[in-house]
Amino acid sequence: MEHLITANVATSLYWLGRYIERIESSLVHIIAAYDKIIDVKKDAGVELYKKFNIDIEYTDALDFLHVAILGDHTANLTTISGFARENATISRNHINTEIFGEIIALHALFQNLSKSKIDIDYKVVDNAQSLISEIWGELSKRKHKKFSDYFIKLGKVVEETDFCFRFNENETHTNNVINDVYTVLEILSTGDKPDRTYLQTKMGHQEVMDAIHQQIQSVIIE
Amino acid sequence: MLEKETELQKKFWEIFSKQDRQKIEEFQTYMDKFAVNFNLYKDGNFIERSLPFDVVPRIISKQEFNKIEKGLQQRVHALNLFLEDLYTDAKIVKEGIIPEEFVHQAKGYLKEFKGFSPSKKIRTHINGIDLVKDTVNDEWVILEDNLRVPSGSSYPLSIRDTYRKIYPDFFEQLKIEPIKQYPSYIANAMNYVNCGGINVVLTPGRFNAAYYEHSYLAKKMDAQLVRAHELKVVDKKLYFKNYNGKLIRVGSVYRRLDDDFLDPTFFNPDSLIGVPGIIEAYLAGNVAIMNAIGNSVADDKGIYYFVPKMIKYYLGEEPILKNAPTYLPYFEEDMEYIFNNIEKLVIKDVAEAGGYGVLFGHTMTKLQLEDIKGIIKANPRRFIAQELIEFYDEQCYLNEELHERKADFRAYVVMGEDIKVWQCGLTRYAIEAGNYLVNSSQGGGFKDTWVMEL
Repeated sequence: MEHLITANVATSLYWLGRYIERIESSLVHIIAAYDKIIDVKKDAGVELYKKFNIDIEYTDALDFLHVAILGDHTANLTTISGFARENATISRNHINTEIFGEIIALHALFQNLSKSKIDIDYKVVDNAQSLISEIWGELSKRKHKKFSDYFIKLGKVVEETDFCFRFNENETHTNNVINDVYTVLEILSTGDKPDRTYLQTKMGHQEVMDAIHQQIQSVIIE
Repeated sequence: MLEKETELQKKFWEIFSKQDRQKIEEFQTYMDKFAVNFNLYKDGNFIERSLPFDVVPRIISKQEFNKIEKGLQQRVHALNLFLEDLYTDAKIVKEGIIPEEFVHQAKGYLKEFKGFSPSKKIRTHINGIDLVKDTVNDEWVILEDNLRVPSGSSYPLSIRDTYRKIYPDFFEQLKIEPIKQYPSYIANAMNYVNCGGINVVLTPGRFNAAYYEHSYLAKKMDAQLVRAHELKVVDKKLYFKNYNGKLIRVGSVYRRLDDDFLDPTFFNPDSLIGVPGIIEAYLAGNVAIMNAIGNSVADDKGIYYFVPKMIKYYLGEEPILKNAPTYLPYFEEDMEYIFNNIEKLVIKDVAEAGGYGVLFGHTMTKLQLEDIKGIIKANPRRFIAQELIEFYDEQCYLNEELHERKADFRAYVVMGEDIKVWQCGLTRYAIEAGNYLVNSSQGGGFKDTWVMEL
């Protein structure tokens, strides 16, 4: 049976998966850095953001959270959650209603912080992580499983791959994640099966990402 | 002025008095969380906002609704016959029931479609008919027919689900007609007229005011939501461009954009939201478009005047539901009446919608009235005048108090193999006391509508 979905929606779902994963992975690293900044390593936040090629400044741990979530830089979580919301809106009739609601709530959580004078603390991170867990939880429920979910899953694992390289994860873990990317691509592909020869070669970060993007372009045809 | 309280309303208030009013806030939470929006453009800015919602439903007895239902079926049947006749034999014009000149001057009349019959000769697939309940005669009166792209059904559909969750007592204790079947009415109509292929809902995109509705209905109808560039015409056939590059034939399009924007090769060449070549596919009988192209002529407020005559002409019946008393300055006798009584009439521009182009004589200065008389005289076909109908207010629970607000009712009628009237509708109330304009684009809110029996 032919699965019907436009390239535009497929791309939106893919980016939705990437943005949600990016927020989740960032939060994990942010909260780890926050903990170190308190009494172990003052510049843990600076080091973290260097991995995203961003220079940040902060006065203390709480100020670091503020800068990470609302700061004037490209990894600002409010902006990223806004991108996630936009992609969810475009693809909303292919998304489970509960997942859509959680994405709207996630963006509202960050956006309200930028509008109010409430101090940002770890509870915001906790709340955001809970909402993201609910999104992934809903997606994994077998009774709701839809073909279009695989585009979200693809975005999720591609973003995970990017984080593996940025944070120098061990090779086995990284290869497992890349393997997941190709498994999802195989499910989505209706033409030739994706080429997995990347595993035999020791490719670097950019090369792997380029290879993956090339494969995606042969699956989602604009 | 409120309608005399009925037994059904008493039952509602009895249950309402026992409910936790704090939970009313949950309706707004729901609409925010799921972006149940009717968007606005204001001062050049795009604003995503939800429609104001009032928890007190409009209650219509099943018996009363049965009459509305029959009247609407009759009206839509006649309107469909009128449009089919107008674009083919035009007997109604030839026999002088409607002046030929009057029809041909209608902005929405598309002479290029003369001689073409759409699939199954159905043109009025999805109709939004606006009614009010007149306080003088205590009866429902038709205010206008929306036969192009009527919107609004998704809001009561969405809110009903929430209502059942927040306040289940009403639905356990009262006999309220279920409403979930509405998307299936549209899906069935699409399947009935389908020319071979899948069903799609064509949206201008996510910045359209009613994008939420397009998405909601597509999902509930199991149709694909598409934008123009996701469709393609090849050899006079319309195709859906799948993500993998395959072209899938489309048999029926529920379009949510006006004729002018539908095909840049046929209508407005600047349209970026239309599908090049879709009209060619339509005229070749390879795809159904709903509602049919050219329906706008029947949306014309001047043509509205003739609907009772259409019912008699095509069906040989008396209209079950009346029009509001309407005058056409096109006729000299009516022009004289309008000029002598303009301060108590409502003047409407025939081609406008959404509450735009409506002037209330009683709110205008003498100078303004003289000005408008001059404009009407220069272009009598452009306007109609109606007696100001005093229609009932509805009780609205606003800021924790009950207030009275003018409210109309948009009924939805779907025509496929048969004519279905949805046992619900969109009750719209004016946001300010005394205001007669209830349109969503004028800031009006909405209520659920309960068709009930004891």
